[in-house]
Amino acid sequence: MTNAVAGLGLAPDAAMVTFPIEMFLPGSDISPVETRKHEFYDGLTRWKSAFGSDGAAEPPMVVVQATTVEDAFARANDLMLANRWGDGLPLWPPTRERVDWILRGATKPRTHVVGVFPPRGGVTTVETCAIALAMAGGRPEYLPVLATAVEAFLDPQSGSEQLQAASGSAFPVVIVNGPIGSAIRLNAGFGCLGPDPQRPAGASIGRALRLLQQNVGGALPGLGTMANYGGMRYTNVVFAEDEANLPAGWQPHATERHGYTADTSSISLAFANGVTNIRRRGAKKETPEEDALQGMYRMADFMRGPNMPGLSGYERGTPGILMIPGVVAQTMAGLGWTKASIREFLWEHSRIPMDDLRRAGCPAWIEIDASKVVRDSIALDPWPITASPDNFVIVVAGGGHPTNSYWLQGYSPGVVGRPVDVPPSFDSLLADAERDLGPR
Amino acid sequence: MVKLEFHDPSGVVEVKQRHAPRVPALEGKRVGFVSNEQWQAFRMLPRLKALLEADFRGIEVLPIDAFPQGNAVIGSEETAELVKASGVDAVIIGNAA
Repeated sequence: MTNAVAGLGLAPDAAMVTFPIEMFLPGSDISPVETRKHEFYDGLTRWKSAFGSDGAAEPPMVVVQATTVEDAFARANDLMLANRWGDGLPLWPPTRERVDWILRGATKPRTHVVGVFPPRGGVTTVETCAIALAMAGGRPEYLPVLATAVEAFLDPQSGSEQLQAASGSAFPVVIVNGPIGSAIRLNAGFGCLGPDPQRPAGASIGRALRLLQQNVGGALPGLGTMANYGGMRYTNVVFAEDEANLPAGWQPHATERHGYTADTSSISLAFANGVTNIRRRGAKKETPEEDALQGMYRMADFMRGPNMPGLSGYERGTPGILMIPGVVAQTMAGLGWTKASIREFLWEHSRIPMDDLRRAGCPAWIEIDASKVVRDSIALDPWPITASPDNFVIVVAGGGHPTNSYWLQGYSPGVVGRPVDVPPSFDSLLADAERDLGPR
Repeated sequence: MVKLEFHDPSGVVEVKQRHAPRVPALEGKRVGFVSNEQWQAFRMLPRLKALLEADFRGIEVLPIDAFPQGNAVIGSEETAELVKASGVDAVIIGNAA
């Protein structure tokens, strides 16, 4: 309900009668509807919003006092947790000085409104992004990627309005292409989903995005988000494609999906709700061709489960993001594979026999989907897990080791791309980072 | 004494549009349901309809299928227009989970 009024300019509260989840299960005892009927009647006749006045007011600065610096930091962290602004890990208090420092990475005025974060409906400005980035331990040169990712997150095409609050534990995945990835030390290789002390950008940017989702968007566990498990929610997923190891003829993700030139810095945002390793390499005397093909079948077979994560993005989104390391991409390219032919293979071999779908009760979900393309797909047997091979996202990333690929199971109505602008002083910010963070 | 002053990170909530005014009483009013057809709505909303009809004289409660049902359609402008055109005084939306 809160989600239904988000972003429409309505107060984020609404007249609601809430019951424990057991009331909503098949065969439940619904007699509480009667015992609490006056709450419904009051909602129709007496309820008043707690947000009485129109307009907006900046919240005041927060102050803590202590006898030592260490104690002041502890008190600030305690207060941020008590106010439900934290994630349980230590935070940098977003002081004026620190936020102003972060804002050196801004390309727009600090008061520029990026959007309204659902479900709470908090107005998000460039300064709000900088505050979150300061709390997350970020640096000014990360702000262009964060602010652009927030824009993409709040684009209606992303589906964030629903996914912020939904029970499926979706988290944003931000893929960075172009020169900015390497410039700000985003990891594209070993351990690219973090943590990495030499390449901390992904963790800080992803954590800041999460803090915005929670603090501005109100996505608190069990209150503003019904995410059952909340996986990857400390840092979300932010990484760069390993463009240095793209085989000849293979295009970067941003070029394939969004049409950006290879020298354009950009982000691409999708939602996922699962992360799994898929063993790719053979173990004995396979030929290179067998090794490649067997690994591909392993991936496709994993995707063929009647779980339907790709339903929400069936038409224009993605069933998932497949990460393959550069060394594997190079080998496969040598055998004639391209990103396009890999997508075609996965699409064809992840199709699910209709009998399997029926056994798992999937047709009921397909039949009630809002998309006609989805509803019509029920006539297809075997059933493709997404409308088009083009919907698969394939990214070259990960360490230089051939054994594993990674599958970020999609839960994403769209895949939203945005070019990243940087401020005129960006080079000096990068020079400061080299000084502060040490050699790469 | 060390003083640490920092920003409230929660941003601003701007209310541009008020929720619909409440009806002063339910007697003699026309009430509709907009159902997402999930979470036992097919059982709970008719129960609520019966309760309203028993407790308020002259009330008219439309059946739960008077308007399009389902998550895919209840948020649409078309459904909103149908609700407006029906002349209801109040609407109950359910069931969210």
